[in-house]
Amino acid sequence: MTRLRFRLLFFVTLLLAAAASFANVTTVRFSVWDGDKALETIRQLVADFESQNPDIKVKLENYPDYNLYHQKMLVTYAAGVAPDVVMMDPQHFQALAVRKALLPLNPFFEQTPGFDIKSYYKPIVDAHSFQGTCYALPRDIAPMGIIYYNKAMFKKAGIPYPDGTWTWDFKIRPELKEKDFLWVCEQFTKKNPEGKYVQWGYTSGWTGLFADMIVYATGLLPYDNMESPTKVLIGSPEYAKALQFAADFMNKFHYAPSVTEQSSAFAGATAQALFVQQRVAMYQNGIWEVPNVRKLLKPGSKEFFEWDVALAPAYAGKDGKKVLKFPTGGSGYGIMSSTKNRDAAWRLCRFMGGEPGMIAMAKAGIAQPAIRELAIKPGLWVPGPNTPIEEMYPANRIVTDQAVPYVQFPTTSQYYQAITDRVNKGQELIWNGQKTAAEILKENAVDAQTRLDFLRKEEALPPFNWPLGIALCSALFAAIVVWVYRPHFGKKLTQLERGETRSAYWFLSPWILGFLIFTLVPMMLSLMMAFSNWDMILPAQSRGLGNFNEMVNIDPSFWKSLKVTTVYVIFSVPLGIIGSLGLALLLNQKVKGVSLFRTLYYVPSITSAVAASLIWLRVFNAETGMLNFFLYGPNGNWPIGRMLSSWIMTDPSKPVDWMATEGTALPALIIMSLWGIGGGTVVFLAGLQGIPTYYYEAATLDGAGIMQRFKAVTLPLLTPTIFFTLITGMVGAFQAFTQAFVMTQGGPNDATRFFVYHLFGNAFQSLRMGYASALGWVLFVIIMLITVVQWWAQNKWVYYEAETK
Amino acid sequence: MQNQSQIWQQSADKAQRTASVLRFLLWVVLVAGVVLSLLPFYIMVVMSLKSAGELAGSSVWALPKEWAFSNYQEVLSNKNAPFFLFFRNSVIIATFSTLGVMFSSSIVAYGFARLKFPGRDRLFMILLSTMMLPGIVTMIPQYALWKYFGWIDTFKPLIVPAFFGGGAYNIFLLRQFLMGIPRDIDEAALLDGASHSVIFWRLLLPNMGPAMATVGIFSFIYNWKEFMGPLIILNSPENQTLELGLATYRAANQNQWELLMAGSVLVMIPIIILFLLGQRYFVKGIVMTGIK
Repeated sequence: MTRLRFRLLFFVTLLLAAAASFANVTTVRFSVWDGDKALETIRQLVADFESQNPDIKVKLENYPDYNLYHQKMLVTYAAGVAPDVVMMDPQHFQALAVRKALLPLNPFFEQTPGFDIKSYYKPIVDAHSFQGTCYALPRDIAPMGIIYYNKAMFKKAGIPYPDGTWTWDFKIRPELKEKDFLWVCEQFTKKNPEGKYVQWGYTSGWTGLFADMIVYATGLLPYDNMESPTKVLIGSPEYAKALQFAADFMNKFHYAPSVTEQSSAFAGATAQALFVQQRVAMYQNGIWEVPNVRKLLKPGSKEFFEWDVALAPAYAGKDGKKVLKFPTGGSGYGIMSSTKNRDAAWRLCRFMGGEPGMIAMAKAGIAQPAIRELAIKPGLWVPGPNTPIEEMYPANRIVTDQAVPYVQFPTTSQYYQAITDRVNKGQELIWNGQKTAAEILKENAVDAQTRLDFLRKEEALPPFNWPLGIALCSALFAAIVVWVYRPHFGKKLTQLERGETRSAYWFLSPWILGFLIFTLVPMMLSLMMAFSNWDMILPAQSRGLGNFNEMVNIDPSFWKSLKVTTVYVIFSVPLGIIGSLGLALLLNQKVKGVSLFRTLYYVPSITSAVAASLIWLRVFNAETGMLNFFLYGPNGNWPIGRMLSSWIMTDPSKPVDWMATEGTALPALIIMSLWGIGGGTVVFLAGLQGIPTYYYEAATLDGAGIMQRFKAVTLPLLTPTIFFTLITGMVGAFQAFTQAFVMTQGGPNDATRFFVYHLFGNAFQSLRMGYASALGWVLFVIIMLITVVQWWAQNKWVYYEAETK
Repeated sequence: MQNQSQIWQQSADKAQRTASVLRFLLWVVLVAGVVLSLLPFYIMVVMSLKSAGELAGSSVWALPKEWAFSNYQEVLSNKNAPFFLFFRNSVIIATFSTLGVMFSSSIVAYGFARLKFPGRDRLFMILLSTMMLPGIVTMIPQYALWKYFGWIDTFKPLIVPAFFGGGAYNIFLLRQFLMGIPRDIDEAALLDGASHSVIFWRLLLPNMGPAMATVGIFSFIYNWKEFMGPLIILNSPENQTLELGLATYRAANQNQWELLMAGSVLVMIPIIILFLLGQRYFVKGIVMTGIK
């Protein structure tokens, strides 16, 4: 009977397997960072692909956050569950390619009949290539030499529309009129009667974009070799001159709004908003902004005006020879080497990065095709004769094609993020005029070179010694167990005590199980990694104490970030405790509507971090921020503000620019942290409810006043809660990360480079998970030591009603 | 005699008057504080009610000229980030993990706070130490563990661990609270032969209302707003949560502030309601049966 059943089962299984192999459907996992409208286009494309290729099923995955997309890819690759086809870009592919995590695509190119990589724009293919091998099939190219211009404003000023033949020089050349870019800009600069600038000629999508254009066009590059840099070249006087010009363009000549002016008046996308508000006549960016601008300037809406795009100006050249050069972006599709379905993956890759994919993206107005033939086809990318009005703007999309020969990609180096982080350090201080370009670049050139040399220097390390690591970790675990029970060795428990111990372990069992199953192994593994060199892709190498040596002796940001974090902890934790305790005491009173108040005070703690950061940037804004309004008064001349300015600012006539000044960025983040005291307040409120009222009654009978009752009853009985807030607040503050990640990126000039932010950068931007783990464990030890001290000190001030010694 | 009571009466009146003046002042302070702390929320709501064009063209503080409720409609009906599906996912994750946290952290906290056993304080130190290592460095081993369990792209990694301890933060919070409750009553119960489970369940849990409400609300909100965990663990678009869904409105180069803000407001509403309902337990939860 059982045997029969087994046989039956066997046959059924065989049958099912046969059926499956007959249908032979392979699944390809495909991940993109697109969201919303772009995702919709991709989804449609995937459906089309599946119907044309019935033997392939595509599982689309999207993480609409560009930075975290790359982080997640590394995590999945490290765990062996990476997607098959991934969206890629020139800044990220090399780090994967050199470690063989991406497949070289050239063999596929050669095997595929009718495929010609030469039909793609050369720069974008080169940008996805390393040592002559291509690792991602281009999806689009996005030259940022595109100027969106307001036709109405040009018409009103009597200036002919730009036709791309204009040039720029470091000085204005009025004799050339509309052929001189600076002259055109100047025509639009306007002040209001109070002397404030209210209109400008030009702004770029972000300040670095304009600066990059100046740098590239004057024949400069930040590195000696953009594919494999060895020398950092930003220390030259020419480089400083170029960046200083970009700053003066805003702050001295007022051709473009200053950083503060940009951020003061607008809600979200700043540069674009200026253009839509008709306060700048020209706006430089990539073509990907088109869908947004179309949406903001709908034909027939109140906001609508006629607009178009033109080629950005060329540099007039030192010897009278025009130089055209623009920064650019672009993306492509790569295949992870862990894929099991190379053929299917390539077919998908070719579909998305070939004609079907590009036509769909072009029609949606999202991306210029990377295949030239498609990019210049009227009616597809360039508007054809019967284009509906909504898609008419911009009419001159052909300039995107004209720009391609002059593009310059940022470095495609595998160290891209690690070194640009050093190259750009403190650049915001150039843009807001607090430091000169020469000052900042001199320091950065050295820092970046040191970093690059360090990263390029390959240590010859042995493979990680797993048996030893596991043995040491097990020994450590055993030592901890011994430490826990040592004081009780040899002591005999009474039967009652044994019973209590048994019950205790029953109560503790969920945590003990959870600790052993979910927490212990990851912690131990990360401890082992702290002694390793591990890029998350290749097998880990043993580095001994090298990581710790690096922290103390080599990595200057280690000390800086430790200092920044310590200052943050010292101020934010006590202020947070005092604030939340005070608020809790207020909210514990019998006041009208107190329950509503409690909720309202908690609202800040649940507001989304992105919304909150947006708002805070406005609160701290130098010109229109709320904080400065209270400090400087409506006319900007209150003494407190003046005093602050002369104390903090290099130019004392300016109001303090909180987030963009080295001395005030961290205090601003500390103030910001107080906004979240609602959480601590809730804890204290709960603590206050736990105080038995008869204590108060007794104290009142004894004739104690409000203050005495607070000192004799409330405070002592609240000490366990205060202790809790102190410890958890400190643990949380030492691990502060989000503010730096979302708002300041560690700037200006590393002033808010929190320890965990530094750790994150090492882990996922420099791909140095070994060093990051070491950092993590150092932080662990620091927090642990402080906690132990406080734990020991609590005997002196924390009062437990029910202490069991 | 009469005189004295008159004086007494007068001073009581005076005290009452000062008290009511104080109360009024307090109220003014509270209102001012609320206004300050709600300004960002105001901006959020205002931004969410402007059309994209108006948003770009107006001050952040200005009220919308035309109220664009269509933003909300768009967020609710966007097929690329299906709101109700994500809502369902978020509700499942947040509810179950909150249940797990409340259940297991209270049990463990009882063990640490009210029982005496060898190694207790040092074990508690180990418990606290699990908070001290930044999550970034355990992310990959943790992820590999989920893969080993076959839990990738499921809700399990976001729910199951909550039933195993509920996190050091919550255990610590409840332990502190439990250590503030006088012991006389459970000692009496112990002498009467009651087991610890009975003491925990019958005598202490009913007195832990405010602390339990705090833990419950905190962990619900934490899981509701959690971004990194779901981002790493969930792959399929149909498994995503509301917080992940919001990211679609700030995808690379495609910021849609009006929709992002509308979405953020919608995501906040359930938590505000939950808080309004839950917060009365901070006050009324104190039954304090027998202890007082």
